[in-house]
Amino acid sequence: MAGASAADVRSILSLPSSSTSAPAQPKKPAVPISRKPSGISRELYSLIGPSAPTLVAQVAKPRLKQKPNLSGGGTSKWSWRSFKNSARTDGLELGHWVKANTDPDAGPSLVFSPRYRYKDKGTLEYPFARYNAKSPDYTYSQEEYTNFLEDPEWTKEETDYLFNLIREYDSRFYIVNDRYEFPGGPFRSMEDLKDRYYSVCRKLIRNRPWSGDEASKAQLISTFQFDKEREVTRKKYLLSLENRTPEELAEETALYIELKRIEQNEKRFKQDRDRLLRTLLGAECGLPDLPIDEDGPLGDPKKRKKGAPGELDSPATPSSALFASSVPKRAQSAKSAAQDAMHCIQRMDVTMLAGTTPKTTHQAAHLRSFRVPYPKAAVAAKVSQIAGELGVSLSRLVMPTRDTLTAHEALLESITSLVEAKKVADRLDLEIRTAKIRLGMRESEVPAEMAMDVDEDGQAPDTPGEGRAHSVVSTRSGRSRKQASFRKVIPRSFPVAYWRWRSPQTGTSNDRRSMSVSSVDTSATSTARAGTKRQKLS
Amino acid sequence: MVQYGGDEVSALVIDIGTSSLRAGYAGDDTPKAIIPTSYGFVPVARDGDVAMAEAETEAEPTAPKEESKLYIGQHGPSVWREDMQIGNPMSEGLITDFKPIPYLIRYALKDVLRCKPEDHPVLVTEPAWNTPANRERMAEIMFEEFDVPAFYIANTGVLNAFAAGKGSALVIDIGHSTASVTPVVDGFVLRKGLVHSALPQLVYAHAKHTLITSYKHPAVQLFSHQLIANKSPVEAGSPPRFTVREDRLSKTTPSLASYYENREVEEWVQTVAGVLDQGWNEQAASQRPLRHYEFPTGFNTYFGPERFQVGELFFAHSRDLVSSNPHLPRTIPSLISQALAACDPDMRQVLMGNVVLAGGGSLFAGFGERLNNELVRNFPHVKIHAPGNPAERRYGGWLGGSILASLGTFHQLWISKEEWQEHGKPIVAQRCK
Repeated sequence: MAGASAADVRSILSLPSSSTSAPAQPKKPAVPISRKPSGISRELYSLIGPSAPTLVAQVAKPRLKQKPNLSGGGTSKWSWRSFKNSARTDGLELGHWVKANTDPDAGPSLVFSPRYRYKDKGTLEYPFARYNAKSPDYTYSQEEYTNFLEDPEWTKEETDYLFNLIREYDSRFYIVNDRYEFPGGPFRSMEDLKDRYYSVCRKLIRNRPWSGDEASKAQLISTFQFDKEREVTRKKYLLSLENRTPEELAEETALYIELKRIEQNEKRFKQDRDRLLRTLLGAECGLPDLPIDEDGPLGDPKKRKKGAPGELDSPATPSSALFASSVPKRAQSAKSAAQDAMHCIQRMDVTMLAGTTPKTTHQAAHLRSFRVPYPKAAVAAKVSQIAGELGVSLSRLVMPTRDTLTAHEALLESITSLVEAKKVADRLDLEIRTAKIRLGMRESEVPAEMAMDVDEDGQAPDTPGEGRAHSVVSTRSGRSRKQASFRKVIPRSFPVAYWRWRSPQTGTSNDRRSMSVSSVDTSATSTARAGTKRQKLS
Repeated sequence: MVQYGGDEVSALVIDIGTSSLRAGYAGDDTPKAIIPTSYGFVPVARDGDVAMAEAETEAEPTAPKEESKLYIGQHGPSVWREDMQIGNPMSEGLITDFKPIPYLIRYALKDVLRCKPEDHPVLVTEPAWNTPANRERMAEIMFEEFDVPAFYIANTGVLNAFAAGKGSALVIDIGHSTASVTPVVDGFVLRKGLVHSALPQLVYAHAKHTLITSYKHPAVQLFSHQLIANKSPVEAGSPPRFTVREDRLSKTTPSLASYYENREVEEWVQTVAGVLDQGWNEQAASQRPLRHYEFPTGFNTYFGPERFQVGELFFAHSRDLVSSNPHLPRTIPSLISQALAACDPDMRQVLMGNVVLAGGGSLFAGFGERLNNELVRNFPHVKIHAPGNPAERRYGGWLGGSILASLGTFHQLWISKEEWQEHGKPIVAQRCK
């Protein structure tokens, strides 16, 4: 029914055939050529046409699984045949099973026949015979021995014995050394044997005529190099390593962990600083391509010296005074000076902005209140406690003028150093005590004490707080540039708390933490959302 | 087949141990014939009527005209016979009496495997401390009496390493009579590092002593079931009620009686005894569960801490024991440290990373863990390869031989009959390094 074409309709309605139908006519006989497959009704087939193979396949009569052919058509015959191994010197014939359809004259040929190689006679070789590889060995004549190889330590007989053993055991020196029993000879260590063997080989190569070029000769000689002294020292060192006591081992492990920790700290510190620098220089001022030293502005931190034992936690940052002298002061024009005086403007020297670097060509303007230093997080509690005892509130700086700020900074610094000093003193005290205990008691105290040490170090604060604080300040200044885009520093009496709220407080580490928290939050909400979605679906 | 480079030539592998003789086809994963090495024999008067072991009918041209009838196999020593004595050709892991060896091998090959030895190359194992004379004698037996086409004798230490898939290993083999530590490098034994001791014998002796003289329960009478006429069940710990077969008891030879007794002790050790994983500790031992065991007499009881004292002997000798006997066999840790001390410092790390535990004695309950704990203390990087399959552990030497003799590259190493006839005995030492 659906197969009815326009021509059919025309013929039913006895209409004259259109001109367009004429070319369609020759196509028509092509359709019946594609035969209607069985299992599908004619009507359906004329509907869907031949272009539905998947449907046809489904409709097609189901076929049963082919029955296994058990009559032996797929099996191959095997026969027991004897073979000769060309790696043998005798005529031993062993037998093995091979496929019967292989050429019987060809000797053994198995499933791995591609690996067979034809010998010159055209017969096949036993496949495993070619693994009978011999390493090249060196022999010498009596004449050669007397000319080159004389050694007061070795007789010719013993040298012969050594070379025989090495040949016998394919240069496996551990075995050679184990089996070495030259009657009447002195005790020989493995290094003695190796030294003798390699030196003889070197001399032979050097003194024999060489067909190739000098380079290849030198290369060959270099493969026979043996430094006996070095080997002996190495073995001694190995032995001493093995003979370490458990205490020494524990100490070494502790030291190693400590070293790793310091390295990690330094790395983190460097990363932080680089990030800071990038923030300062690059992205926010639209100068992303500004070159930054790989080591950061302060040079390679590894090259810098470590401070006191208490300062292991963070590398010391040199004070900004270092740079103060190196940066030429900008001359102030008289005109601007007059203007400044009129408008009560105090110009700050760039280098006075602590922690900034001479490279920061773009010194952003910022509020002084941003420069209010805060004690380090590690000692904050103690510092505020001491400040409280003094009756000073650190959190609230009512008027952050230059003078107040300087005084504030000085106060904070001295409190911090006081706390540091206390800490160091405490630690030393503890160390003295534990040392006394250790003196009194046995070594079993060692692990416990070490654990204490590690704890102490874990708490140890970043002593050069100055540097860290400065860098923090400079970040803040960078960040606040958009909020206050004027160059001059204006004393502001905004409550500090406000600025705290507006900008991240303590440097980058806090920043990162807050970021991670927010990401966790979002993921949590997203999963919650997904959960609700799932609920809806169900 | 291609991957592992095997080429089966239907070789036979024979592994002779103190407790059992293993024989089978190379390429199999377990030996087909496992027969006790101990054999029974009844001395008879020399009247020329010589009969060999039950199934043997062929004449033996070279067999010694013994005045005895040998009882071999599963129905050999374990079946009670009047006036039968028990012999064992091994001592300290070595064959010391070669007379019964051909009978034992013939029984394994002809009566159990039912194959013709003259059609098959034969690989025989030997302990690492075997003497040259011994291995030559073994080659002689195989070529002259069994007419094998090819022969090879390989070291159990090396074979155990091969069975574990390692070329270099420190093989700790705890057998029935001997414990040995063998450093193997590139398939060769480092002879200077090879150590062995009769430790398992001490363990069994101690176990027997524990059973007979324990203060906790009446002395255990170690009658085997062959000697017991009847018994009735009794409460745990109370004296047994049984009657002995008096007719048999009087005709049981001392060697058979001690063989049966030792069998009972071994069975007890294998069932009940163990070793603590963290050194001897009275408290830990008493906290472990008691284990029930019933002897053939019907006597049954629960064994507590004393079952762990038995295993402790593998690892440490108590002060009393040392002071009473200065010539005690060395413990496993001291054997290992002695073996390592003789090895090159470079090699020690390699060896400790490839410790192979083998032998039926290593199936002792808790042995592997304890060994690991002992070794980790001194060698943090130790790695012990201990097959979980008991057959693989017990017959590791045989399994390694099975692997070796089915390798395509190995077939150039066989000592052929032709070579034997040409070179004679020296060929053995020359070929089997």
